Amino acid sequence: MKKNRTKRLNQSLLAISIATLLSSGMAMAKSDNMHQLYEDNCASCHGSDHGGYLAPALNAETLKGRSPTALRTIVMAGSFDTLMPPFYGKLSDDEIRGVIKHLQATPKQPNPAWTMDDMKKSLKVYVKDEASLPDKPTYKIDNIDNLIGVAARGKYGRGEGSRAIFINSVTHQKVGEVPTEVAAHIIDFNPANPRWAYVKTDTAEIFKVDLYSMQATRSIKTGFNGPGMGVSRDGKYIMAGSFVPHNAVILDADTLEPLKTFELEGIDPDGKMVSSDSGMIIGTPYADIFAIALENAGQVWIVDYKKEGFPVTKIENVGRHLHDAFLTHGGKKLMIASYDDSIVAAIDLEKREIIKKLPAGCVPHVGGGSAVVVDGRTLGFGTNFGDCDKMVVSVWDLDTMEVVKQIPVSGGTESPAAHANAPYVAVDIISKDRRARTVQLIDKKTLEVAKTLDVGGHAYFPEYSADGKFLYISAGYNGDEVVVYDSNTLQKVASVPMESPAGIFSRGRVKYMTRGLSPDEMEQSK
Amino acid sequence: MKLNYSMLVVGLLAGGSVQAANLYAGQAKAAAVCSQCHGVRMPSADAPFPPLGGRDPEYLKTAIKQYRDKTRVSDIMNAVAGSLTDKEINDIAHYYGSVKP
Repeated sequence: MKKNRTKRLNQSLLAISIATLLSSGMAMAKSDNMHQLYEDNCASCHGSDHGGYLAPALNAETLKGRSPTALRTIVMAGSFDTLMPPFYGKLSDDEIRGVIKHLQATPKQPNPAWTMDDMKKSLKVYVKDEASLPDKPTYKIDNIDNLIGVAARGKYGRGEGSRAIFINSVTHQKVGEVPTEVAAHIIDFNPANPRWAYVKTDTAEIFKVDLYSMQATRSIKTGFNGPGMGVSRDGKYIMAGSFVPHNAVILDADTLEPLKTFELEGIDPDGKMVSSDSGMIIGTPYADIFAIALENAGQVWIVDYKKEGFPVTKIENVGRHLHDAFLTHGGKKLMIASYDDSIVAAIDLEKREIIKKLPAGCVPHVGGGSAVVVDGRTLGFGTNFGDCDKMVVSVWDLDTMEVVKQIPVSGGTESPAAHANAPYVAVDIISKDRRARTVQLIDKKTLEVAKTLDVGGHAYFPEYSADGKFLYISAGYNGDEVVVYDSNTLQKVASVPMESPAGIFSRGRVKYMTRGLSPDEMEQSK
Repeated sequence: MKLNYSMLVVGLLAGGSVQAANLYAGQAKAAAVCSQCHGVRMPSADAPFPPLGGRDPEYLKTAIKQYRDKTRVSDIMNAVAGSLTDKEINDIAHYYGSVKP
């Protein structure tokens, strides 16, 4: 901890010296220009409503009493160990001063509307006649499941570097790059038709991507931000949810046209009626349903997409501040993380009720989740931010819904990766110091940490290739590469350069439903 | 120049050979001080900063020392390099020199 403080002190000294040197020029830009400047440079991370998203809320309340000089330094030099880039040379000193003044005077904005009409108007068609597209991949790949998609954020969260990058996980070569203008965040693959993938950006645009010709054919803006997106098992529908505004939408997966929107609100576990962010959205191989988490309302809604009017079944009192989830038991059970009460709730999607709430460390964030079968038992692995003394990864027996073990790890964690053919479950350590460079590997059999990999950058979002032979890890933030390891020897075998890589998504996911399970698991659902 | 030269000599005497750069220390320092703007291999395609990966270590050393000593003027570089020691500069320069862009 002491070392940490010294580092921070050094940084703030550096910051002050930069600020002192640069304090010249005083012209003030106008506030409406500043609003646009905020939208163009800051809002995709800090929120169009000034309420924060990936990055903190910036408004009159949150910035009250903060020194404009110190804020200016952060904007100029960026913030170490975070995604905040340096705007020195991108914005003029007057612009930086201007936007800070603007932010310190602007209250958080009310939740802006984004209606069905807004969505329809935002629909863009890049390839008019999809029948003209090639009928097989235009690059060499033996099996399309070997594709790995990486959400490359780009240093500034937008611009040239913001792309969905696709890699052949046998050769570790890039086979396609699809520019997304704003940072790509989530990549989902169509389970029914191997040629389509869907990429959602930080600003809630969804791109329909043709994996054969590696280009976007259409896009639609579904909201202002929020990562939630799921694809139906028949590949015909997409459901997407937003933080801003508080709604979700079902799209036609073929045309991306919106079919129905849902206002997200409900009574939270404390009895209060609240309007809610959208958490995870998931399609399951077991039935024609989507499950969507209402973060603040603490509810999980199940939507029957084959029924007239898309009827909703509401499961209440699931937890306080729900976020992400994974499936098990042929897709009939859903394990959903609840930040504020540090539990993972098991939900029976068949009966549409809560099975049990399990201890899950501290501020659980299960990422894509992982489950592995060891000695006949199906074990689920739960990562958590660990914003307290408990630095553990939780292991649950998903048959009996009991805690098997809480494995001590070196810090907070965000996403576990597993594969039926790989001996280790990888977890990314996210604690904001040198540990952030590392990923720890848990032996499936002993349930103990067997090895720590020093990946570099801010190492996160591990993912196995579809055959389980290789482990892909993003060296994010300033690391600017995806590093590939042999799953058994843990030797580094390749590096794929790109700007600020984040989430990694194997197309194999559609085959094994939840990472770590055997494709046989999917058979149970048919 | 005279001053720089004598500092270099002192550095040589105190720290052994100039070649004995610690790449690991250089990597750590670069990650904390430089890569935020300059990246590791490359700066961002959208960034106005020059690349450092694969550059000649001697050139990098000279340039960083000039920024530190303010004989080369850049508001931000004079501030960023201001507190680096000769050893740190040597480590950083050799680290970036070893990176393939």
